[in-house]
Amino acid sequence: MSAKLGYIFIAPALALVVLFFLAPVLMTGVFSMTNMSTATGITGGSYQITPSVLIQLGDQGFDRKILKRIGSESYSISEKGLLAATKADVKTELVEELRERYLGETFASRRLFERFLKKLDNRPRSIRTLKSTSPHFRKSLIKERFASTKELLQSLEEMDLGLTQVQTDELVDASYTGWIWTGENFRKMFLLPETRQILLNTGFYVASTLLLFNIGFALVLAVTTFYLPKGQAALFRALWFLPRITPSVLYVLLWKWLTWDTGFINAVVTNFGVTPRNWMLDTAANAWVTVIMINGFIGASMGMILFSSAITSIPKQMLYASEVDGANRWQQIRHIILPQLKWPILFITVYQTLSLLTSFEQIFLSTDGGPGSSTEVWALSAYHTALDNYWGNLQYGYGAALALVLVVVGVIMSLIYLRFFRFDELIKTPRIEQ
Amino acid sequence: MLAFKSFSKRFALGIVGVGVSFGLSLTPVMAKDITIQVWAGGSNVNDSYRVDAITMAADILEKEAAILGEDLNITVETKYDFDGWGGFKQAVTLAAEANKAPHIVVTGHEDIAPWSQSGLIRPIENYVDFDTWPLSDLFENLVEIASFEGTIYGVPQDAESRPFFAWIPHLKAIGYSKADIRALPGKILSGNYTLYDVLDDAKKIQDAGLVKPGYGFYPRVSKGGDYWQFYLSFGGEMSDSKSGKLVFDRSAMKNFYTFFAKAVEMGVTRKNHIGTPWDQWYSEVASGKAGLWHGGTWHYSRYTGKEGLKDFFGNIVFGLIPAGDKNGRANTITHPLVYLVTNRGSEDDAQIAAQLVAIASEPRINTLHAIKSAHLGITKSQQNVPLYANNRWASEATKLLLPHASAMPNHTNFSPYFDAMWKGLEASWTGQKSPEKAVADVEAELRANLGNDIIIR
Repeated sequence: MSAKLGYIFIAPALALVVLFFLAPVLMTGVFSMTNMSTATGITGGSYQITPSVLIQLGDQGFDRKILKRIGSESYSISEKGLLAATKADVKTELVEELRERYLGETFASRRLFERFLKKLDNRPRSIRTLKSTSPHFRKSLIKERFASTKELLQSLEEMDLGLTQVQTDELVDASYTGWIWTGENFRKMFLLPETRQILLNTGFYVASTLLLFNIGFALVLAVTTFYLPKGQAALFRALWFLPRITPSVLYVLLWKWLTWDTGFINAVVTNFGVTPRNWMLDTAANAWVTVIMINGFIGASMGMILFSSAITSIPKQMLYASEVDGANRWQQIRHIILPQLKWPILFITVYQTLSLLTSFEQIFLSTDGGPGSSTEVWALSAYHTALDNYWGNLQYGYGAALALVLVVVGVIMSLIYLRFFRFDELIKTPRIEQ
Repeated sequence: MLAFKSFSKRFALGIVGVGVSFGLSLTPVMAKDITIQVWAGGSNVNDSYRVDAITMAADILEKEAAILGEDLNITVETKYDFDGWGGFKQAVTLAAEANKAPHIVVTGHEDIAPWSQSGLIRPIENYVDFDTWPLSDLFENLVEIASFEGTIYGVPQDAESRPFFAWIPHLKAIGYSKADIRALPGKILSGNYTLYDVLDDAKKIQDAGLVKPGYGFYPRVSKGGDYWQFYLSFGGEMSDSKSGKLVFDRSAMKNFYTFFAKAVEMGVTRKNHIGTPWDQWYSEVASGKAGLWHGGTWHYSRYTGKEGLKDFFGNIVFGLIPAGDKNGRANTITHPLVYLVTNRGSEDDAQIAAQLVAIASEPRINTLHAIKSAHLGITKSQQNVPLYANNRWASEATKLLLPHASAMPNHTNFSPYFDAMWKGLEASWTGQKSPEKAVADVEAELRANLGNDIIIR
């Protein structure tokens, strides 16, 4: 009975986990094995033989004579075309005029054919009729779009090109406009020189922010405020909470005012003869310092709160006893406080590594990966690739492959941390309770 | 009470309407009601005519239809306040996946390649006649830019180009006469004033103490299509006109990188110039703090508006981007926006949407947009529309720049090429790599990334 109730209680959470965690991860996995992009669309494709398809087939050694025939756009006045036109309610006078005077004539392009139509006695009087008349006389496949393989094959057959099965397959494959399954994304990731750069950037960013701020500075804050009178401690902690509760756009904007050429830092340092410069983007080093501080100031507050509460839960008697034994502040910190913070430090390390790996909004808002790509981290690069590409063609597939790497790395890191910090020992029931 | 009144009024109208339409249904006149949605990206209040022109066109088309005895009612729904280009493109592509794309979109020409492949847009040449006015009057190079794989997909909506600028008082101070300055655009066009002359003049201006060090030649501060102009200046080609493949020209790329490395070495351009805030840049170039620079035709409204430059033509001379050496040519790049008709709705809907686009492209209507937003026109006869002809900037810039304008290629893989070019430029500019090394690295990346899609020469 109680188990059942438990399941009922957990059901909403489970549904949310599936919907917002498992499903996206699964979709990322699926997308990463495709070449999906804006150009291929997501929902599927059709078939179109374009000039570049023909060039590509030519490069692959496809019979050039056949390609030439497929590639020549032509319009001809044939019985077949005239019949189709009659069926589609094209004016009888026009059809008769074409049949009697121009049967058998061909035109090299749509434009030429339509110019010819416009000179006839019974010419179509509106652009609309003109445009609906010309397709009946079309005789080529080039540029035409076919919704299904069947339609394409049928049109190929009508052309009577004498294609072999292999050639037909090659043509169908090359003219497909939709996405296909492929492992290309991972090969490309491995080959591209920028991958290594981004990997190094990410490692550097996560490690420095974590060690310097999320753990290091958070510890400093927690310990120093512990020794302060209660009221003052609360005030300092509240101040260090500001970066976290300020909306990120506003928070980063403040950093921009601080660091820009005409910003606050320059207003101060120019008095000392320093040439003004953009302290956020001038060099890669400037950019890293800013990016790490921007993120670190936000990250530090979480560690500060956790460590502070852990410190206050240390029995006061231990500290009193150590003072009686003549321990100074540093010895208290080193031998009493820090050892008792092992569990919160583990937690913050694991939690913040994973969150630093995947969060990029502050970098996006401040340097956007610049200057050059010196602060481009993995998550930001996945975002740029899949959703913010400068020249229109968003690469969903490659972006998903990049994101998938993050998921895998995240899982592996968590496992390593659990081993390294001997997580299982920490949650073991104390011997005294056994 | 009011609500009830208006309800009863509507009710009465409804009854009359039903009665009338019942009576009319016996006659051959068929009423056709259609709603056309238009979305424009990258637009603000100044660009409202991108969508409003379609509303105006609907009015004309309805009247034309009425004369022919058709009862056509077009409701145009417009939207242009998107969250930047990125937000706009996401909105369009996602709406399209759900079959809810607007009928007409106004976007950069670069979207033609991916969107035509995915079937999001229809070839507009299937619905309108480019031999008939006003489309027959469009600048040919703009129509070329609106085409992909030999098919015309869009109708150009506006044009701009990216001129080269110089501050006249500084030129005078280093010995240019009035006549020399007047002749400068012509000298650039003929290739007699090259990019290295630019550096020499920049150096002179700086040495004369007219501008601060690093302000002699003051280029764009962020990544942008503008930089391809310098690749073209040294004889580079972005794509092969025959095969449509992208082209990477090693020697042109090397000379282009070397030029910027040289500018830094001579001290006329700052090593950390990239990343300068735009606001600072605009105010500096519009107030004579820089010697020579380059920008876009839309800068005119910024310089004379927000930056408060009173006498533009008395202070600034403009021309094409000069040639780099004898292999290259003076040039400029344009990035026209285009009207595209999407796959939404029936063939008839698309037909009407395309006709609206054609009407909206008539010189008088398009001029409203061109002048209001400080863009260039799209048709030759716009020079005869008073509003356009009397605008000195629009008419001079059109005459001098637009005939020589080219554009970045419509190619689904141009984006990675662009990224690679930019990384190489930054590396040589900031001295992280020699131009030779940067070119070699870009080549390695392109080979891995683009394979057969790019011709490396």
